[in-house]
Amino acid sequence: MFKIKEGEPFVMTKNKKIEQVEQFLIENQNAHYRLAYSYVKNKENALDIVQDSIFKALKSIHRLEEIKYLKTWFYRILVNTSIDFIRKHQRVMVMDDEVLDGYLPQTEDEPTDIDLLDALDTLPPDEKSLIILRFFEDLKIDEVAAVLDENSNTVKTRLYRTLKKLRIEIEKGDLE
Amino acid sequence: MKRLNKLKKEYDDIEIPPELDNLVKDSIQGAKNAKKKRSPVRNWSIGVAAAAALFVGSINASPTFANSLANIPVLGSIVQVFTIDTLTLEEETYQANMKTPAIDGLENEGLQTALNEKYIEENKALFTKFEEEIARLEEAGSGHLGMDSGYEVKTDTEQILSIARYETTTAGSSSTEMQYDTIDKQHNILLTLPSLFKDDSYVEIITTYIKQEMKRQMEEDENTAYLAIEGADIEFSSIQANQDFYITADHTLVISFDQYEVAPGYMGVVTFEIPSHILQDALVGDTYIQ
Repeated sequence: MFKIKEGEPFVMTKNKKIEQVEQFLIENQNAHYRLAYSYVKNKENALDIVQDSIFKALKSIHRLEEIKYLKTWFYRILVNTSIDFIRKHQRVMVMDDEVLDGYLPQTEDEPTDIDLLDALDTLPPDEKSLIILRFFEDLKIDEVAAVLDENSNTVKTRLYRTLKKLRIEIEKGDLE
Repeated sequence: MKRLNKLKKEYDDIEIPPELDNLVKDSIQGAKNAKKKRSPVRNWSIGVAAAAALFVGSINASPTFANSLANIPVLGSIVQVFTIDTLTLEEETYQANMKTPAIDGLENEGLQTALNEKYIEENKALFTKFEEEIARLEEAGSGHLGMDSGYEVKTDTEQILSIARYETTTAGSSSTEMQYDTIDKQHNILLTLPSLFKDDSYVEIITTYIKQEMKRQMEEDENTAYLAIEGADIEFSSIQANQDFYITADHTLVISFDQYEVAPGYMGVVTFEIPSHILQDALVGDTYIQ
């Protein structure tokens, strides 16, 4: 029933894995770019991050044990690279209160959608990741948890809190 | 949800620059080239491996050639480890590829025979296990199973020969186990981890170091994870007294853990080089580890 052949060449499953990863990177490049862009808000930097992430992924491909984790594994690299970039390039300026007052928007302004977009950008990166991954990239809660290395319940709780912060009302079940 | 949908639309409208496509392709190509460039040693070793394979092939194919080598002392002493047997099975859903190493050229023939027989027995047992498992799967309907085993010469110096043997089982997910044999070629003895040390204080010294190292690696690289850290469900408490190990060409001790032993599966088999200076007080001597 089973044939045993002697001296057959070693079966290389590694090349097949690399091939699949490359195909995934090419097919999903637009999504990857959007994700990077939403963190850094500029084309050049977003391109840099995509490039960097591809390098990192292919360099550490041996750590990807199973191909079915490819998506969450790569998103994790992408998110970490983006957040690292923001941390490194963040310039924190300290200003006098008086000067600061001049820059601040008037508090009595009507809330608009522009505010909502700004609000998303003022979220700390990890809260932003939650919103982007779950609602824009349509990842399941479990997948978001895997990307961010958190457990699913923590992710759910933090998503609720973040949405509340953005004053987005959400119906029961939307988080599932 | 209306506000969220608006945000999502905004996100989907992020313009894709035309150069992205080329950048992605170039990066993939670049990563490949960089990988090649950065490891000349690996390329070199593939060359050597290929040459060695040819060489072993010639030995197997031609007794005259083998005999002619044995008569040349220098070449005769190079022949150390080769593949004596390859068992392969290739079915649609079942694959096996098992390579059995054999050592040749050791002065202590008793040790050499014992090791070689052990390798043959182990691979035979593995193949039997594989066939039994297939029979079981067939009975239950059908299934997928792959088994790979083989070896790698980790170190081959005038004094030391370290051989690593791996065994990978794939059934949905895969797991890899590593085993090592380290031989003192000059004194013709098989080294064990306890035999390198005066007493068992090494267990704690090495454990402490590895715990620190795990922590450091995780802080440095967010993609690295070990189960070792306090608070994890499965905590790494200590190395085994006879933990798998090998010794590098520059006399460094390397401790090895099977896949899943101390880290999530995606980390694979993990190894730690132990700095020699922390072991100094516990070592019997500096013959092997310096």
